[in-house]
This record gives sequence, structure tokens and C-alpha cells, in this order.
Amino acid sequence: MDNGFRSLHPFVIFLYYVLAIAMIMLYQHPFFLTFACLLLVIFNFALDQGKMLKKWVSMMIVLSLLFLILTPLTNHRGNHVLFYLFNSAITLEALIQGLLNALTLIAILTLTITFNYCMTADKFLFLFSKWMPKWSLLAMLSVRFVPLLNRRIVEIITVQKGKGLSVTSGPLKQRVKHGLLLVQVLLTWSLEDGIQTADSMSARAYGLQKRTKYTPYKLHMNDGFMILILTGLTGTGIFGWWLGDGVLTLTPFLEPTILYGREWVFFTIYVLIIGFPLIVEGKEAIQWQYWKR
Amino acid sequence: MAILETVKVSFTYPDQLLPALNQVSFSVEPGEFIVICGPSGSGKSTLLRMVKQEIAPYGERSGEIFYNGKKLTEYEPVKIAKEIGMVFQDPENQIVMDRVFEELIFGLENIGMPTETMRTKLAEMVHFFGINHLLDKKIHLLSGGQKQIVNLASVLLMEPRILLLDEPTAQLDPVAAKDFLHMVKQMNDEFGITVLIVEHRLEEVFPLADRVFVFDHGSLKISGPPKDVIAKVWQEQYRPLFPYLPSTALLYLEHADNLQIADIPLTVKEGRKWASQLKTHQSDTSFKKQENYNEKQNPILQVKNIYFQYEKTGKKILQSLSLTINEGEWLTIVGANGTGKSTLLKVMAGLESPQRGKLIYNGKKYSKPISTDIAYLPQNPKLLFIQDTVRGELIETAQQFHLENYEEKINCLVELLGIQSILDRHPYDVSGGEMQKSALACVLLPQPKILLLDEPTKGLDPEMKVALGKWLKSMQSRGLTIVMVTHDIEFAARFSDRSAMMFQGEITVTTSTKDFFKGNAFYTTVVNRMTRDGNIPEVVTVEEAEEKWGSQKIKN
Repeated sequence: MDNGFRSLHPFVIFLYYVLAIAMIMLYQHPFFLTFACLLLVIFNFALDQGKMLKKWVSMMIVLSLLFLILTPLTNHRGNHVLFYLFNSAITLEALIQGLLNALTLIAILTLTITFNYCMTADKFLFLFSKWMPKWSLLAMLSVRFVPLLNRRIVEIITVQKGKGLSVTSGPLKQRVKHGLLLVQVLLTWSLEDGIQTADSMSARAYGLQKRTKYTPYKLHMNDGFMILILTGLTGTGIFGWWLGDGVLTLTPFLEPTILYGREWVFFTIYVLIIGFPLIVEGKEAIQWQYWKR
Repeated sequence: MAILETVKVSFTYPDQLLPALNQVSFSVEPGEFIVICGPSGSGKSTLLRMVKQEIAPYGERSGEIFYNGKKLTEYEPVKIAKEIGMVFQDPENQIVMDRVFEELIFGLENIGMPTETMRTKLAEMVHFFGINHLLDKKIHLLSGGQKQIVNLASVLLMEPRILLLDEPTAQLDPVAAKDFLHMVKQMNDEFGITVLIVEHRLEEVFPLADRVFVFDHGSLKISGPPKDVIAKVWQEQYRPLFPYLPSTALLYLEHADNLQIADIPLTVKEGRKWASQLKTHQSDTSFKKQENYNEKQNPILQVKNIYFQYEKTGKKILQSLSLTINEGEWLTIVGANGTGKSTLLKVMAGLESPQRGKLIYNGKKYSKPISTDIAYLPQNPKLLFIQDTVRGELIETAQQFHLENYEEKINCLVELLGIQSILDRHPYDVSGGEMQKSALACVLLPQPKILLLDEPTKGLDPEMKVALGKWLKSMQSRGLTIVMVTHDIEFAARFSDRSAMMFQGEITVTTSTKDFFKGNAFYTTVVNRMTRDGNIPEVVTVEEAEEKWGSQKIKN
């Protein structure tokens, strides 16, 4: 069974991802974004000790460096010229813009990495099956077919290797030809077996009347409460953005990066939204500690 | 009142001259356990499909089927789909969903059941079947036996009154098959579900059956309680059905003096009781016929100290495994599921290269497939076929190996196998036995020295098994060396010369087949379990009994 953030109703989880992405996109401010990245990295570690994050980390660094370098090279707007490169101005504003882009990218990537972990395929399908029952069933069937076909092709390759049909050696043209033949075997075989699957479906009354869908998740009081908090916080957050807080003005005049006054309030709200799963996880950990005593 | 009744049901597939079912009439009482047997193509599956309306075959039909006194067609489709459930042969292909849980509720969703009811039903069923630990698993990670149990459970969740099973254990190993059949019997005993099962494992199902239906060429030849059916088949000398009789009964019929229907043993227990009364003139005849096995021992293929695993961090499949195969022998490798038998064959065929160890063929090391000398027949022969016809496949294979005057070779092999009639058909469209033969033709075309067989008897009916065994034996006498991996103990005991047991990636015992099975207490044939520790010479197969006991008629 899932626990912590993942045990919440799929709708709450989905809502969090939508709202968090919205907040990251709206609050284009290095201070806000840095904290968002920090929180999300901690979230990753809280989920699986950062295992999945480690797989992506090199790609994230390369991409963000690319943004950091390319933005000042292509964007020349701004008053603070740092230096000239090949006769074009490199401005501080463009550099900050690059930094913002890079941070946004990191934040969104770290967030999506956790998405697969928290929002598993069946939860996702469950959310959308209400509106598209046929499509969700089709998706469920395909979920099984991808690994199935993969296992089958491996088996075919092994067996056909004995007959001399290799896809790993020989001239390219021959390899392609062999590959196509193997795919053909896979298709004939799968279609043939698919008939049996279809029989088994109709033997279990498929297609005779309207299907119901098993709903494995119930919307508890707690989930409703979470939805209220999340939407409330985000509503306030969007209001703050509309007021112009939490967005670093680059042109016409560069705003100082340090937060002032009201911005601290919106920063707190921002942290509460992005760090929402951490709060849930933390709350559960504390409850567990108390229970043990 | 009969729960199921057929009145002169006939059925002809399109473009076929002969009917698949011919005037079949019978009635089944509620709670009966009916075993349907007969050769492949005798209409058994067609009959089940006629009863299971949703998947009824397309063709010309006549006669009526009644369910609870009313014609099947008069019922509401959903009701009938729910009350007549069916489990098919292949465990994998019946599965629709990715996870066990989703698979179980698939049928319930189809009949529009609300979530809460589904939960209750599921809770009951999961408890009854003891599959709680499987619920969240992905189905492809389960063993064949577990998959079939899931299939059974998902049908039973719909609370059928009649359960149809079409060779449900054909693809399972003996242990899983036994578990499955006992589960079915339990459902029959404790819930009174009427069972109609088409099955080839007669040793297992005959003791469970209330009545047996014997089909041949589309008509219901004999029906009645199991012992009566056996006696009738025997008395009428209905030869084509002899391979279908359980070996306990066969042994009795061949060696008992005055035949009593009530005495025909169906279980080993009954068989032992009968065997204990037997007396022989000679106490031990085993010295009379020395095994002529030790005559020539010329190693043709050697496996030396092989280590194999599929993934770096994965389980070690083969561990310091060594095996020597002698020229011209038929070696059987048996062992439980997941002990690496199939992997060993693949390694021997050169399809998988071991991490450590050597493979030596005719004194030379090899690591790649040498298909011209070592042929490999996979468990699923479908994987071998690429062309649209069997003939095309054979020609393609011949060209692949650059064989000279291949047409002659093909004709010769086709004649040997007796597959002339299916040459122009698609390899998938022929029966299981014919597909097996076509695949054999392909791999034997380059005239290999060694044939590696992975579960060659899977899904074959008893008659085909005997035919296949005899054919392979004749090839063996022409100099072919055979290595076979199988779960089919009876087949191995009857045909192979030497047997090896695999356990935890190692070969534990290798000895002549007869000694092998006589030495095993559990992993041995039914006939051996029947005749063990008696005052008669211990035998492994019905044929051996004929050989050893036959000369002297045993008196009761």
C-alpha cells in the first residue's frame, strides 16, 4: 500500500501537479525558483532516496547550462551590458533570464520525475476513465501489450538466431530484412493469440451491456480538506502574481533580487504549495513517531 | 431436471464436408462432473463452444441446446454469459489485463456490478483461492499454474452454474495441473458447480469424474461412469482410444484374468490393492533381460562447468553444470519449474552464451549455433515459422542452409513424417501435432546429429504423443541423438534411454531411465507407484509390464 502523499486520492495528487506547475511558471523569480528546486529535490529524496533523480541529473545539468549560455547569446535586451562578444552585447538581464529559464526547467523536471512515482498509470487512468471509459479500457489493454510484445520479440530473436536469421551481424540490408521478417512473425503470432484473448473477453460477457468501472479510490474528508487548502493557497498565490509580486521585472528597469515586504507573504504561500507533499509526508512521519511512543 | 441438455446437435464448419459434431445428444444433471475425452479433432472443443454461446463457431448448425429446460437462445445474453463460464487452454492468452486484480474484476465490470459488490465478491474469492499475495502483481510474472488459477477465479467470480474447461492443464506442469484440477473438483464438491472438462490427463481426471463422454469423429461414442467406459472401450476392442485410458486401468486390463468392472483401478491406491494380490512364478525377472545400454558410449556433446545468468544482478540459472551426451542416445532432463532446464537447452543450442564454462561438440569448442549439426525445437513451434505455407518454410530453410538437391530431402522427410496433406497450408492453421511435425521437418532438414527438444509433448493428445515418441525412436535408430526437456514423466519413461534430474541449476542424477524412475519415490510414473514394493517385478511403464510379466500369465 502507498503511504504519505501517494495515499491521497488521485485527484488531489493530480491537482497538486497542475497547481505546482502553474506556480512555477508564474513566479519567475530566481529566489522563488531556487527554493522550489530545493523543495522538489528534497521531495525526490523523501520518496525514493533520489534514485530516479540521479538518473536524470546529468541531463538536467547539461540542459540548464545550455539555457544559461544560449539565452544571453541570443537575447540582447537590457541596460546593464556586462561585455561584448563578437560585437554583440551580453547583458545582465539576459543572463538573469537564462538563469530563470534554467531554474524553471530544473524545477519542472524534478517535479515530473516524481509524477510517475506518485501518479501511477492506473491512478491516471482511473481519473480519466469517468469521461472516457472506452479509451481508458483500451489504454489498460495496451499497458499489457507493450511488455508482452517485447518479451515475445526477444523470444523470437533467440529462436530465429538458431535458424541463421540474425539482426546483429551481417550486412545492413540483410539485417533490416531479417528484422522485418521477425516483426512479421511477431505480428502473426500476436494476432493469432489475440483471437483467443478476444474469445476470453466475450466469454466473460464483454460488450453485452454497459460496463461499470471499479473505483478503487474513495474521496475521504481528508482529501476534500486538502483540495480546499491547495486551491485556496493557489488562489492567493495567483492574486499575488497579478499584483506583480514574486516576478522579477527585467525590463525596462532591473528590479533588485532581494524580496521586500508583501513579497515575503506570497513567498510563504508559494513554499506551502510547492512543499505540499513534503508537509503531508512530514505530518505522517511525526504521527508515526508519536504513535510509537 | 437436467441443467444442460443437447438434442441432436450437429455442426459443420464452412467449406468442410464432414460435420465437426454429428447428432450429439446428452443431458447433464446439476452438480455432475463430466470428463470429455477423445482424439484431437473429434469435436470436443466445438461442443464446448456451442454451449458457450458468445464464442460459438460460425458454420452450419442444427439441433437444440437446452439450459434448465429452456433453449439457450431464449435467455438474456448477459444471464447466460454469467451462468455458463469457460476456461481455455492457454494460460497467457486468456488474460486481458496487466494486473491480477484488474483481471479478476474484468468480468464483473462487464456485467455492470457496482464497486461495493465487487469488493465483497473479490474478498470472498481471494480468501477461498488463497491468492491474496498475488493481487497487486503483474500477471506476466506469475507461473503458468498461477495464471490458470487466476483465470479460473475470474470466471468463478461471475458465479457460473456450469463451468466449461477446454484442456485447462495442457500447458501446465504436472504439479500445477494437479493443483488446478483439485481446485475444480473442490468447486464441484463444495458448491455444486456443474463441470464439463475436456482433458487429456486422464490419470488425474478419471478418478474425479462422475461420467465420461468419449467422442470420436464428431459423435458421442460412449458415455457412462468412468469404470464402465473403460470396460466398454476394452471389451469392444476400440483400439484408437486405448492411448486415452489411464495407465492404471490399462495395466489391470492387460494382466487381470477375470475382469470385474468394479475392480478397475483408477487411482494408484486402488491399483496397489490389486497389484498386491498378484503373484508371479519367478520372483525376479530383472536379470533375464540385461539393459543393453552400456554397449557404446561415445560422447558427442559435452557441457563442462557451465555458469549462466540472464542479468548481471539476476539469479544464477545454471551453476557449474556438467553433462555428457552420448552418440545415438535419447536423454531426458526433468526437474521442477524454474530450475533452468529450458535455459540449458538454449545454451546447448548455442543460442545463449554462458558466462563461464565450455561446450564441446565432436571434440571442438563452440559458442554459436551450429544449426546444421545441432537442431533446436522450441517449446512454442510457432516461433519458427516465417513463411505462409509449410512447403515455403521448408524451401526457405533449405536455402538458408545452402542444401544441395533439397527437394529430394524435403520429400523424403515429409514422407517420413506423413505431413504431405498440410504442405500448402499455413503453419498456424494446422493442429498441434501437425504443427509440431512441420517444425520438426524444418529443424531436421539439414540432417543434424543432435536434436534438442523443449517440452515436445505439451498440448498434444495421448495418441499424438505415442506417434511422436515412436517416430523419434525411429529417427534415433537412424543415428539421431535426442536431448529432451520435459515434465511428461510417462512419455520420458516410455521412450528415453537415459534420464537426468535438474535441481538448482545443476544436474543431480544421470542414469538409465528405468533405474532413474525406480529410484525415485515421488517423481515417477503412475505404473511404477502401483507396482513398487509388491511381490511382482517392479515396472515403470505398461509396455515394460507386458515385456516382463507378459510371458507368464499372472493368476489372481
